[in-house]
Amino acid sequence: MSVHDFWTPFSLYPFLNSLFIGISLASIFFIAALGLTIIYGAMGVINMAHGEFIMLGAYTTYVFQQFLGFPFLLCLPVAFIMLAIFGLIVERGLIRTLYQRPLDTLLATWGLSLILIQTIRLIFGGEPKYVGVPGWLDFQIEANFIHLSGVRLFIIIFAVIIGAVTWFLMYKTTMGIRIRAVMQDKEMAASFGIDSNRIYSITFAYGAGLAGVAGALFGALKTLFPDMGAGYIVEAFLVVVVGGIGLVGSMFSAGILGELSSIFSYFTNDTFARFILFTLIVVFLRFRPQGLISEGATRR
Amino acid sequence: MNGNLYHNRTAQWIIYIVIFALLALVPFVFDNPFTLNQYARYIIFSLTAVSVSLVWGYGGILSLGQGIAFGMGAYGMGATMQMQFQDPESDPIPSFMLTNELETLPTVWEPFWSTPIGLTLALGIPTLFFLFFGYMMFQARVAGVFVAIMTLAMLAAWYSVVYDMQPFTAGFNGISPPLPFEIFETSVDPYSSLAYWICVAALIILTLSTKFILHTKFGLIVQAMRDDPERARFLGYNVAYYQTVLFTMSGFIAAIAGILWVMITQYVSPTSMEIMLSISMVIWAAVGGRTSLLGAIIGAFLINLGQSYAGDEFRATWLIILGVVFIAVVLFLPKGLTGLFEIIIGKLSGSNNGARQSG
Repeated sequence: MSVHDFWTPFSLYPFLNSLFIGISLASIFFIAALGLTIIYGAMGVINMAHGEFIMLGAYTTYVFQQFLGFPFLLCLPVAFIMLAIFGLIVERGLIRTLYQRPLDTLLATWGLSLILIQTIRLIFGGEPKYVGVPGWLDFQIEANFIHLSGVRLFIIIFAVIIGAVTWFLMYKTTMGIRIRAVMQDKEMAASFGIDSNRIYSITFAYGAGLAGVAGALFGALKTLFPDMGAGYIVEAFLVVVVGGIGLVGSMFSAGILGELSSIFSYFTNDTFARFILFTLIVVFLRFRPQGLISEGATRR
Repeated sequence: MNGNLYHNRTAQWIIYIVIFALLALVPFVFDNPFTLNQYARYIIFSLTAVSVSLVWGYGGILSLGQGIAFGMGAYGMGATMQMQFQDPESDPIPSFMLTNELETLPTVWEPFWSTPIGLTLALGIPTLFFLFFGYMMFQARVAGVFVAIMTLAMLAAWYSVVYDMQPFTAGFNGISPPLPFEIFETSVDPYSSLAYWICVAALIILTLSTKFILHTKFGLIVQAMRDDPERARFLGYNVAYYQTVLFTMSGFIAAIAGILWVMITQYVSPTSMEIMLSISMVIWAAVGGRTSLLGAIIGAFLINLGQSYAGDEFRATWLIILGVVFIAVVLFLPKGLTGLFEIIIGKLSGSNNGARQSG
């Protein structure tokens, strides 16, 4: 392997295509990270089982599609609801006791992820499973420099929709105002009569539900494995910590990370791009631990 | 002195010596080379748990990146052992490089011709990396969850590199040096008592010197800044300095563990930098008791022993059990098994003062 093979020289059309892949990557990062951002932002809880929530969402979709014959579009809300319920149970049973100890939450949720992976492996076995892609998504865009599959396009559109819905919920509804109030100052919010425990439950359930939808979408894109969650979790965390607390930060950081990752992969290769990107992020966090955008919330 | 016997320094040293003596006597009990090799592996895992206990239990820094030092040490040792096998005249290039179409030995591999230099690099590079990485983080007052995420990201980054640089690291397959490690003209057979004792000696020396350091003023300051970094800072202590030193020490220990690992297994692959391994180290320390070096050692030992008895067949169920135990420990026993031990001993020595002398 010489330096020449390693370093791809610049040429316009492939480079533009890689920018497009970057958008697709960014949308995936964004969807994977959104639930995590909301949970982290509102509760200061690092949910290490988030990747496994995504995995559960994918398997839920698989079960409903394969055994109950649900169409793909209907599986998305189903995955959302199932995971939201699951999230509620986890929050009540596990997370609630650990609010004062963020590091321990990280570890406990990691233990949870271990249990989830193995349970799914025992039920479904280790072989790959597939979520069927509906016919109307089975197309390929081929304009001079753009190569994009229908599923990826759908995910990009969905990322915009899901971002808009979350924005609406957070900024235009009473519940959203309450959530943001608890985010900024729990005690002050409580003195205005907001039940922060209830807000935490709802937030966690919503975040888990988003992970479920993410799983349904990623299931259509890739094969399902019991440990597929690990493939998203590190990137999702990085989107959250780089973006800082809040929706806008996550959008920006997902966009930037997706594009950078794609550009670096264009010049080198996928894994080396990951190295450069992660190293850059670590350096970035050293100078801006609060992330790109901090909403004036209490620093955790 | 009516205190808990658990906090009695003399009793602590006695327990340490007893446990270490038991570990050192293992080769006389098991004559089976395979079992001995297994136990050597547990000892090495114990060493990584000690590194976690040091940095997390005493320093309050949750590092999920211990695998970086472990893996760097392991690859350094792997390269050293591989080059011991190669011949400068007739066969200067390891075979995996030839299959990856390298015609000359890469410059980064050149120093590993010499065993002392190779070992120095295997130990020095990870230690310096932890020094630099720790300095960078702690100088910026990065703390808590962010340290965990940053170390995790760094680990994932290194994993990708090692996995991907196939001509230099043999990628996914890993390096398997054909011959055992040779030093002072002695070949250290991984299945021999000698290899086992080298591991035990490393564990004893490193654990005892760590414990010694923790008993000095340095150790007290470190624990103070774990409990309240802000107050330690206001008292005039340079918290970043202490955190960096502690982090570097833990990297040093993990690197030694990595070096020994390759000596014992004659194999190094990207699994040494997998996230799962690094988090497992944290689990071992947590279950055993992160605030006790000996607890971490026992935790690592017990869990790995359990894992090998569960075997491959029950591996899935075993991991579920491990997950449940881990969650239970985090929820109810933040100080792990040693915490439980501390409570029991406290009850016993509280009700019966005479027990203190007999311990």
